[in-house]
Amino acid sequence: MELLRPSSVSEIPSNSLLLAGGTEVVPLLQDGLLSAATLVDVRGVVPRGVSGNVIGAGTTLGELEVQPGIPDALREACRLAASPQLRNMSSLGGNLLQATRCWYWRLDYPCRLHGGDRCHAREGEHREHAIFANDFCASAHPSDIAAALVALGARLRTNRRELAVEELYRLPDESDRRTTTLEDGELILEVELPAVDASVYLKAMNRKRWSFPQVGVAVARIGGETRIALAGVAPIPWRIDGIEALDTATPLPRTEWKLPLARALVNRALASLG
Amino acid sequence: MARLIRTEKEVEGRYEEVWLVVEEDPLEQWPAGPREIVGRPATRKSGPARVRGEVRFTADLKLPGMLQAVVLRSPYAHARVKTIDLAPALALPGVRAAIGPGEASGLEEEIGYSGAAVAAVAADTFRQARAAIEAIEIEWEELEIVLDADEAVRREQFTAPPRQYERGDVDKALAEADVVVEATYRTQSVLHNSMETHQAICEWTGDILNVYISTQFIWGVRDAVAETLEMPPDKVRVVCEFMGGGFGSKNGPDEYTFVAAELAKRTGRPVRCALTRREESTAAGNRNATIQRLRAGARSDGTIVALDGEFTNAVGWSGWNASTEGPMKMLYDCENVRTVTYGAKINTPPMKAFRAPGFVEGTFGLECLVDELAAKLDMDPLELRRRNYAATNEGTPISSKELEECYRRAEPHWERRHEVRSRSDAVWKRGVGMASQIWYGGGGPPSYAWVRIGSDGRATVITAMQDIGTGTRTAMAQIAAEELRLPLDKVDVVLGDSARGPYASISAGSSTLPSMGPAVRAAAADAREQVEDIAEQRGMPRDAPVHEVVDLLEDAQILGKGARGPNPTGMSVLTFGVHVVEVAVDVETGEVVVDRVAAIHDVGRIVNPLGASSQVEGGVIQGIGHTLSEDRLLDPETGRVLTSTLDSYRMPTIADVPEIVCEFVDKPDTHLTNLGSKGLGEPPIVPIAAAIANAIRDATGADIYELPISREEMLRALERAKEKERRGAPAAV
Repeated sequence: MELLRPSSVSEIPSNSLLLAGGTEVVPLLQDGLLSAATLVDVRGVVPRGVSGNVIGAGTTLGELEVQPGIPDALREACRLAASPQLRNMSSLGGNLLQATRCWYWRLDYPCRLHGGDRCHAREGEHREHAIFANDFCASAHPSDIAAALVALGARLRTNRRELAVEELYRLPDESDRRTTTLEDGELILEVELPAVDASVYLKAMNRKRWSFPQVGVAVARIGGETRIALAGVAPIPWRIDGIEALDTATPLPRTEWKLPLARALVNRALASLG
Repeated sequence: MARLIRTEKEVEGRYEEVWLVVEEDPLEQWPAGPREIVGRPATRKSGPARVRGEVRFTADLKLPGMLQAVVLRSPYAHARVKTIDLAPALALPGVRAAIGPGEASGLEEEIGYSGAAVAAVAADTFRQARAAIEAIEIEWEELEIVLDADEAVRREQFTAPPRQYERGDVDKALAEADVVVEATYRTQSVLHNSMETHQAICEWTGDILNVYISTQFIWGVRDAVAETLEMPPDKVRVVCEFMGGGFGSKNGPDEYTFVAAELAKRTGRPVRCALTRREESTAAGNRNATIQRLRAGARSDGTIVALDGEFTNAVGWSGWNASTEGPMKMLYDCENVRTVTYGAKINTPPMKAFRAPGFVEGTFGLECLVDELAAKLDMDPLELRRRNYAATNEGTPISSKELEECYRRAEPHWERRHEVRSRSDAVWKRGVGMASQIWYGGGGPPSYAWVRIGSDGRATVITAMQDIGTGTRTAMAQIAAEELRLPLDKVDVVLGDSARGPYASISAGSSTLPSMGPAVRAAAADAREQVEDIAEQRGMPRDAPVHEVVDLLEDAQILGKGARGPNPTGMSVLTFGVHVVEVAVDVETGEVVVDRVAAIHDVGRIVNPLGASSQVEGGVIQGIGHTLSEDRLLDPETGRVLTSTLDSYRMPTIADVPEIVCEFVDKPDTHLTNLGSKGLGEPPIVPIAAAIANAIRDATGADIYELPISREEMLRALERAKEKERRGAPAAV
């Protein structure tokens, strides 16, 4: 295996595997879920640091959790993610692109996300899985930060286009199993935040540190609008219009417990913003 | 003088009758209380070297020319190898040897769980070996699998015949009881997750097999390897200088050792076989799940008149039927007790001893049931426990029992419950719970130690035991230093090599200190006596400082030897304790936070209060994981372990650790040994789950029947409690 450290986007060969902090890519390589002849360390290419309302996608979660100038929801999502060691390495852009923690997917079961014809979690062990959009694939999206950025109405700049963070994600379906819209060779460079009046991120964990969200709730007030997005409840970050939307959830037998949890956290988040 | 006796030997609650040569234990016990060195806190002898990364674990060893072995494991939970072709593996670069079913102990043709070992390859690098096992061609015949323990019991599929016990007349007592409570408790399967994975390096030098291994029992590995390979035991040398955790899962050699030995033989080179973290989660043992269907009857004055339990251990494909019924038989003075314990043979990874196997699970069920009984009797849970105090162990005298003193010391912690409850608000409900602890921990013979004193006035304790990370070196040095009247820093401890010291006991069943400590003290006393004799010949007082007595010895040495004496005959040796736990429960989100644990234990004399507190803290933290967050999950279709990484199998982090208050009765067991110490490795994990569950009930009124108390279980229990309130049903089921 070869490791490249380019200094510009144009030097990145096509069909190569990109990594920044490596906290997601390296374990997936070790488990054989990813493979590559060429690894590209993009830390020399992707901007890092905060400038006004623009955040370099190479900024680490550890740097963001102590940034006073960013919205509370984003800072809190960073602080509650992973462990201090992981946050010191992992990048904002990489965090948005992490794969599900579904154990079937991680153990390489031939599930729908791997191109197969069934969701093993639906009939199998799914107590940590989705309560929304879980018919085709019951995986739960693990990114606290993605939910926060969706609620905040953040936009991404890649080497090819600009898009809302919400547009980065798509539900997998029969014809296309991917959960993001990122194209081959496309690289997230920056995140741009709108002016936010107030925001909050609340997270239920199964221990006090190093827990993916059982349910994460991000709420932001922007102008007169209240935006709510959830982590850990659907195969992608899940936006809801209001608390009533929880009535439309389709929990599996062992994910029903997430519904009262989500309801409590959404209520608390809304209450905390006044 | 050596004496041959027929005696009962107990390890992890399992008894066997053995012939033993024992030496008498002529030393008087020290008086109770702290001595000069024993009974006073001492920092770890190996601490500085550990934090500097200088100590060598098995995982650190790199022998010249060493090959790496990787094991091929079954993807199926029950299957037979129809054909296997190792040739494609052997053709790959770096591969030196490959072995299949029957070619090393533990490589099987018919496998009974997903992850069982089938074949193995040795190659120059780990990566090459891993690629090679993927190239092995196998044709499998899949067989029917049973994963459900109740289903196995229905089919009478057992690992051993069901174990039945009865005293008195339970049916009659239940019929006559004023109050009866009944409940089914379930505990999950949890993993040891030792920091150092199971591993061995085997190297042949002539006809000697050197086994470097992460183990809790150097001599047990030596004997098992010699027996399996049909070698004289003294041709097997076992080395374990430092080891990174075992918790009961490293008592024997297992397949990785035999794989390394066979591949080393075939290649003529040292071979390492080390489990990966994923293999550690699958094939290194577990605390088996249990189902406990329990009933208790009491008179209205709180006298428990009947205890009835049907216990099912989901043992797995192999393993033993742990004593989950033990606490029900032993903890309370109850005339009528009946238990039956099934060991369900199912297609899941085999159980292995895990820190008080059986008693951790059984105490959760029993001590939750006793609190249900207290609620139904409207009696204080501490008072109910005191009223049913057992003075004997099923009629057998107990060598020392200070549980009453533990209860007395628990009072101020228990009193806090009024103040704790008063801090509840609409969301966070707070409460206090307790549970008692009973377990073994007396150790036993044989175990031997030598003490060597040189003209430099320094002493070395030599014994071929292991330090499993519990501070064994420090405690042994304290005992020797005390007896020799030497400063602690003048005493070294050399251990960890069967070729360089006498036989020493297993470090399991809370037995290291009670087994080895008295032998070390006897050896030190022997050496001390010789020093005193020399002092007298030099015209010095017998208690002259050692360095002044031996300073002219030059190359001559004082050699003392000591042996562990017999256990008291006709007596049960047991440990006791009580935990009082404070919790807070978020009744909207199901979050459970353990705020404070008061752990009070009676384990005889405390040699190192600092080390003892560390043991208690470790047990409590591991117990909190068992109670709240750890859960080894299987795919219900394939039987494969799904939680095989440390992000999906959730042990507590340091942020989850509550305030832990440790107290010890610290009263020597006058019948046991010259030391009067019992073991402490296991006791602190025994009562914590029940104490947490009882605190949750105190805080919220919700009854807990299942571990772990995840948010899902907590929210379900809160729903049940609301439902019960709506129906106006009585407090107990």
